[in-house]
Amino acid sequence: MIAPEPLTPHALARRSLVKKGMVGGALLFVGGALPIALRATRLGPEPRGPLKLLSRSEHAVFSAIAARVVPGPAADPTWPSAEALDCAGKVDALLARAHPSIGREFKQLLTLFENGLVGLLIQLAPTPFTRLSPTDQDTRLEHWRDSRIVIFRTGYQAVVRLAHATYFSSPEVYPLMGYPGPPEVPAFPLR
Amino acid sequence: MTPGTIKRGQDISGNLTLDCDFCVVGSGAGGSVAAATLAAAGARVVILEEGGHHTRREFNMQEAWAYPTLYQDHGNRATEDLAIMILQGRTVGGGTTVNWTSSFRTPDRTLRLWADKFGVTGLDPATLAPHFEAVEHRLNIHPGSRDDVNRNNQKLWDGADKLGWRPELIHRNVKGCARLGYCGMGCPLDAKQSALVTYVPDAVAAGADLYANCRVTTIKRKGHRVESVSGEFLDEDLDRPSGRGITVHPSRGLVLAAGAINTPALLLRAGVGDDSGLVGKRTFLHPAVPMVGLFAEPVEGFYGAPQSVSCHHFADRGTNVGYFLEASPTHPMLASIAFPGFGDSHRHLAERLSFAQATIALMVDGQHDDPGGRVRCGADGRIRLAYPLGDGLREAARDAIKNMARLLLAAGATEVISLHAKPIHIRTDAEIGDLDRAQFGPNLHTLFSAHQMGGCPMGDDPKRSVVTSRGRHHQIENLWIVDGSIFPTAVGVNPQLSIYAHARLFAQAIARGG
Repeated sequence: MIAPEPLTPHALARRSLVKKGMVGGALLFVGGALPIALRATRLGPEPRGPLKLLSRSEHAVFSAIAARVVPGPAADPTWPSAEALDCAGKVDALLARAHPSIGREFKQLLTLFENGLVGLLIQLAPTPFTRLSPTDQDTRLEHWRDSRIVIFRTGYQAVVRLAHATYFSSPEVYPLMGYPGPPEVPAFPLR
Repeated sequence: MTPGTIKRGQDISGNLTLDCDFCVVGSGAGGSVAAATLAAAGARVVILEEGGHHTRREFNMQEAWAYPTLYQDHGNRATEDLAIMILQGRTVGGGTTVNWTSSFRTPDRTLRLWADKFGVTGLDPATLAPHFEAVEHRLNIHPGSRDDVNRNNQKLWDGADKLGWRPELIHRNVKGCARLGYCGMGCPLDAKQSALVTYVPDAVAAGADLYANCRVTTIKRKGHRVESVSGEFLDEDLDRPSGRGITVHPSRGLVLAAGAINTPALLLRAGVGDDSGLVGKRTFLHPAVPMVGLFAEPVEGFYGAPQSVSCHHFADRGTNVGYFLEASPTHPMLASIAFPGFGDSHRHLAERLSFAQATIALMVDGQHDDPGGRVRCGADGRIRLAYPLGDGLREAARDAIKNMARLLLAAGATEVISLHAKPIHIRTDAEIGDLDRAQFGPNLHTLFSAHQMGGCPMGDDPKRSVVTSRGRHHQIENLWIVDGSIFPTAVGVNPQLSIYAHARLFAQAIARGG
């Protein structure tokens, strides 16, 4: 198991997605500094290939989020899991091409999502996201989504949109949405 | 006349230094027509385009390819708080390559507003008319046909018509359109008459050289003139600098057409041209708030011409911010990131995708007291856009979702759903009042923008504008801007044709000597 990467003063000095005013800065500080934030991440399945941007633990955090965010076989066995569609791997590849500061901020966001102290603050549950039960993971996601603090809602949108984008752009789910897929045109004959 | 060439970043083996008459940055609606006009007038033109050169054989109609490849920030552009998703092209042809083909002339009342309140002179309907006509001819823009109307747009028509809101057919820039429905992912048939297949080839045929995968980073100014423009070629797979660069010395001038957001960002990054302190301010987005109607019969909004019907009944609301209604295609990824919720609640909507109709209300920002957004760009090149949703826009959004609910119910929807984090479900007219409790604010509901405008406004007063009413920079005599950033407010209709026509007018003036 790998602990989340601590945040350095240099990282805190940067303007970032989660550093919006005093609240964001304070969250980053306590999130990176206190031991409670360093409880180990549950790693889950191995990435399918070498990661380009995310660390092994960050990949695990996003995988855990995506598993709850997309329909998935737990609710309906006809839907593939986020893992089956490699949502985390696709997000890693996508953000590796983004501006480097966007990649850094996304990594910080995943650290916050996993952070037990942040969980304590918003959910009274000092447990890393990856170690929560599925029901409690959903509750934590709802806390982020419904927070009165904009940076939490921003963080929620970042992870949920990426999970949905990578999942629902996969041809494997087209039939489940009643979408037959692109029509046949001469340049791309249907197989 | 010797034709020019289109080169991609991977075709460039070393650093380049070029001399020309004009350097044009950007190859979308503004840059392409400017380059074609200048080249046709005999000027030596070099076009620098940050996006790649992608053509119809690559347009595979898959969102997983199209958005990361053809859009800014790999399809992830948004305001810095992620409250507004921004769809903006980044490829040869710019936004026109992924535009949904809706073509409107600039409304007369918008031109009057710019003249009356923003000091714009000489841009009346009669002056612009020949430029609209020329562009409409080149892009084969023609009145919409009832045959263009898919079921997604038909619902919009039906609802607006029943309520007496006078829906209209949209003019489209297509030739031989098969109405596949994938305009936003690049037309695989080249039926869409985008800049990619019209003005860019015209410019190249007239001798212009286009360099794709080339990001401009530096503009050198000497006194009141631009001396040179420098950029870096990008490795297309990594989207990182390849180590090869280009420096262009344009003897007659620099024409910026990188689009609203990127043009002001470039000036700010280069530290050039913000003498007025206005660059990047008053950026407008036509923020679009969507509503989804569920129908008993299939709608299949992913097929057919994406936009063929509009409703401008609410465009002029007096002292309140106006909005206009259009339909949005419902491809799986685009719809899923707009749908609220996650897990099971999200799945219930996703499963009904083919029965969903999406109507959007595009708010006409900037024509009242709302200040729009602000673009910033630091030395690292990261572009940030702050866009607060003020009271005027929140009022408009609330009015819009209520009227969209009325429209969709009138069209026969069994249920209408607001795309809030906690969606509000409407099944009867009596429930529309429930939308009064809807909250508006960052990330409380879905908002997106496909129209970016402002940030380098035109006008005759150097204290209130960045460029003249002919696009020339007030302080730098050989710098022009010919993209959507020049508009002092949102246009009030889909802005693509307005950009083409203004750029053509400006380019003709530039070719004559400014």
